[in-house]
Amino acid sequence: MKCFFELTIKYAWWVLLLLALMTTGFITQMPKLHLETNIEEMLPKNMDAYLNKQRLEKDFNAADMVVIGVLKKDTEGIYNAHSLALVDELTQWLRTRKEFRTLALADLMSLSTIKNIRGTADGMEVEEFMTVPALSSDDIEQLRHQLEVNGLYIGSIVSADGTGTLIVVRPAAEYLGKYHEVYQVLSDKIEEIKQRGGPEELLITGRPVIEGVFGVYMPRDMQKMQPMILLLLVILLAVSFRSVRGVLIPLTVVILSEIWMLGTMAAMGVPVYTVTTMLPILILAIGIADSVHVLTHIRVEAGRDASLSRGESIVLAMQAMWAPILMTTLTTAAGFLAMLSSELIPMQYFGVFAAVGIVYAFILTVLFIPAIEAVLPKREKALDKLAFTAYLSWITHAVVHRSRQILAAFAVLILISAYGLTQLNVDSSLIHQFNPSDPLRQADVVLNDHFAGTNTLDITIDTDQDDGVLEPSFLKALLKLQGIAESNPLVGDSSSIAESLAEMNKVMHDGDEAWHVAPASSELAAQYLLLYSFSGAPDDFDTFVTSDYRQAHIRIQLKSDASADADFLVQSLKGKAELLFPQMRLEYAGTAYTALRFSDLVIHGQIMSLLLAMSLIFALCCWMFRSLKDAALAMLPVSMAVVVDYGMMGLLDIPLEIGTAITGAMALGIGVDFAIHYLYRYRCHEKLGMAYQDVVARSNEETGRAILFNALVVIGGFMVLLTANLYPQVKLGALVSGSMLVCYLASCYLFPILLRGRVSSS
Amino acid sequence: MYQVILCFAAWLCLFGTVDAAEPTGLQIMTSVDQREDGDTLQQHMKQILIDRNGRERVRQMMSFRKDVGVDKKMISFFLEPANIRDTALLTFDYDNEKTDDDQWLYLPALKKVRRISASDRGDYFMGTDFSFEDMKQTPELTDYSWKLLGSDVLNGHDCWKVQGEPASQSLGQELGYSKIIQYVRKTSAVVVRVDYWDLAQRPLKTMRMLELKEIQGIWTPLKIEMVNAQSSHETVIELSDHVYNGDIADKKFSQRSLKRGYRGH
Repeated sequence: MKCFFELTIKYAWWVLLLLALMTTGFITQMPKLHLETNIEEMLPKNMDAYLNKQRLEKDFNAADMVVIGVLKKDTEGIYNAHSLALVDELTQWLRTRKEFRTLALADLMSLSTIKNIRGTADGMEVEEFMTVPALSSDDIEQLRHQLEVNGLYIGSIVSADGTGTLIVVRPAAEYLGKYHEVYQVLSDKIEEIKQRGGPEELLITGRPVIEGVFGVYMPRDMQKMQPMILLLLVILLAVSFRSVRGVLIPLTVVILSEIWMLGTMAAMGVPVYTVTTMLPILILAIGIADSVHVLTHIRVEAGRDASLSRGESIVLAMQAMWAPILMTTLTTAAGFLAMLSSELIPMQYFGVFAAVGIVYAFILTVLFIPAIEAVLPKREKALDKLAFTAYLSWITHAVVHRSRQILAAFAVLILISAYGLTQLNVDSSLIHQFNPSDPLRQADVVLNDHFAGTNTLDITIDTDQDDGVLEPSFLKALLKLQGIAESNPLVGDSSSIAESLAEMNKVMHDGDEAWHVAPASSELAAQYLLLYSFSGAPDDFDTFVTSDYRQAHIRIQLKSDASADADFLVQSLKGKAELLFPQMRLEYAGTAYTALRFSDLVIHGQIMSLLLAMSLIFALCCWMFRSLKDAALAMLPVSMAVVVDYGMMGLLDIPLEIGTAITGAMALGIGVDFAIHYLYRYRCHEKLGMAYQDVVARSNEETGRAILFNALVVIGGFMVLLTANLYPQVKLGALVSGSMLVCYLASCYLFPILLRGRVSSS
Repeated sequence: MYQVILCFAAWLCLFGTVDAAEPTGLQIMTSVDQREDGDTLQQHMKQILIDRNGRERVRQMMSFRKDVGVDKKMISFFLEPANIRDTALLTFDYDNEKTDDDQWLYLPALKKVRRISASDRGDYFMGTDFSFEDMKQTPELTDYSWKLLGSDVLNGHDCWKVQGEPASQSLGQELGYSKIIQYVRKTSAVVVRVDYWDLAQRPLKTMRMLELKEIQGIWTPLKIEMVNAQSSHETVIELSDHVYNGDIADKKFSQRSLKRGYRGH
């Protein structure tokens, strides 16, 4: 390795040129970076929730819909000329926008498009509920009356109390993956209407909107947090090195690592997911440690022997440091790579690219720092005025004299955390990924309060025979299953072809409620559908039945997208559905089902990645320290931090979900570095045969400072995430910085006490 | 008013002399509208509805039309598929725009004739990709402002290319189109292709006359397709067994006849 570093210094300019060229190469790839906000794209491609959703889209033309709510919370409600004109204006506007598909009734549902099927003395009338413009108060009263008599749209288009109405519209297929543009267009229009002033409150939600908002927040979060973390680094580096060079060199290393990592992601065509928006922050906070350790050591070497040439002192420092920083790089990378065991695609990419970024930071540290130090004039002073000296000797004092109190404090912490572990919850909810104060999350609450529910559980049933869906026995079973689903208080509404046929049956029997049942024969059902087709679009019923009438689809609307609620509903329906539809293929999909399966993956991946990270890091430690006992000891502080991490989640009622579940493996990979550095130094001094107190003091002096710096950067860096718009980021930031604090305390206070027994035994 | 007419006449003369061979868009569409289509017609219709996954649904029916003054009476009997056989539809299409059309449907499974409400012009025709308006030989000429875009050759035939834009915004909303372009054969005044644009100015549908034949001196479509570019749904209509100007009794267009069903004549 000596040879390598000598060559690096000899050809310093060439090394710098090479690094500059590579950086330019990575920068040219950056424009390829794109966002991925579609939650289905995050699922493994062989999973039922993913496959069923694809099939639902293909066979039933189903799509995630944008929901616009118009609310006016007074006694009159939305039944007034102004509000209804507003609904019509929005409806007509949507028709003229290329971001939306408005071919059929099912593509665009609002008071301006829905039709009333009404029985008359000699037949049936299909007419629009609302004729615009200029509604007289009589017309409005009539409209309200008709909607109530019809009943079909109460809950889905107008709220039962009349204070709100929905416009439900389908985004155009070309905009899949570009929902942030759809959201932008929509929110601009809403803003324009708000500017005009008016008594109505306008709210938007629905899966495309949620994904669109993610798409807007993600780059915004990245842009906001980047300068904050850089500022933090500048301050900490300035305090540690007190020189411009000491700030700029490590900063260059991490910024280049970030560019290389993002460039690699772009070149490989990997999109940015909500969790991977944290990667740049992560690389900046973790990658800095290597260069700080190396730079500190170069100064130490230069100060120790003034007779050394500049190149010689650099080579000496690099020789001493490359092994420990390689080790910590490997352990941290191992912690992240363990996330590969998760089946969730963003988690896998998160793990891989965090590891890639950490390795880049290592490569840049061992190439860039010696080269730039060799090229720059020798100027820096020796490290005489060191920061935190008093604090570090205080630690030594505490460790030696207050060991009982320290042990007791940690014992209490572990006990509390252990209790917290028993309280741990699992929940995956898309809407809960937004801050409770976020307008989108509040809109979702309000709309779920007033309407049938913004989330769906979709059940598809294959009868395996042409026209099988039209059989009376099948239709009756569909209605029965809907009844069971609707008895769940979280279910606001459900719809199927059976419901529409029963409605037509009633209308064709003079509106007699007794006839609101499945048509008596398959022929009658077919004739009703033909009858309906006279006033509908070719694909109006595509959502509920395939054109060969083999497969049917029930859509159940839920007021919650929490996986726990979906789990309860699916469990209660599954057994009954199998009895109602014997020997038929039943499949589940929808936002609620995705959340449920997503949650299963989070838990499974969670346990797997934690176990894998533990074993990988343990194996690396064994290899490095050549001692099982030392390896186990090195794992101790960080294991404690992981227990506290999950304990905190249990105590603070933060559920395990995509953001928070990865904190364990992350904390493990980052936190183990503290103990490794400490133990490395500790063993060096121990070999010299020093007394325990001196070993602790020396270790604290030499490596305690770098560990403190490392801990401050990581804790501070993750605290930056607290300012994110995305809620998982906020929670992850709090959890990781909290557990890193515990890890730091355990490494510097508890660890030496535990090592004490080791000294006496050896 | 007199002056306006005079001006208009002068304008006509001016352009008429410059290029006598070039008719206006409205003149072309008027010639399409006035094309002979027989006083009565009986034909067999096969509708093939093809969904975006390529699944086909086929319906067959026998249709009869009779012109009664300016109004039209129509009756159609469904033959296939079996579960809608004998379902029949009777329509009185009044020329007066103010009067809603009358429609009755006979459902054999219910053994009842039911009156059904008139369809809006932009509504789809029997769940096909054609709207009621698209099924007519020409749209209402006054609904659109017509403009001749030029000539084009389609399948070796010289065609006029005529653009229609709804005369008002509300008409556009009613019809569902922001623009249509009709290709009219110069020799026979038959529309052989129509392109439709939706209200967001996106291409929406294309109608193509795939087969055309002169029957009893009347140019008659035998096969027409309509493809919806946005939903990928398409409809092919095949027409056969045409009899023009046959003797169809008035009582054929009655509710009794609906119930009696198609008896092969």
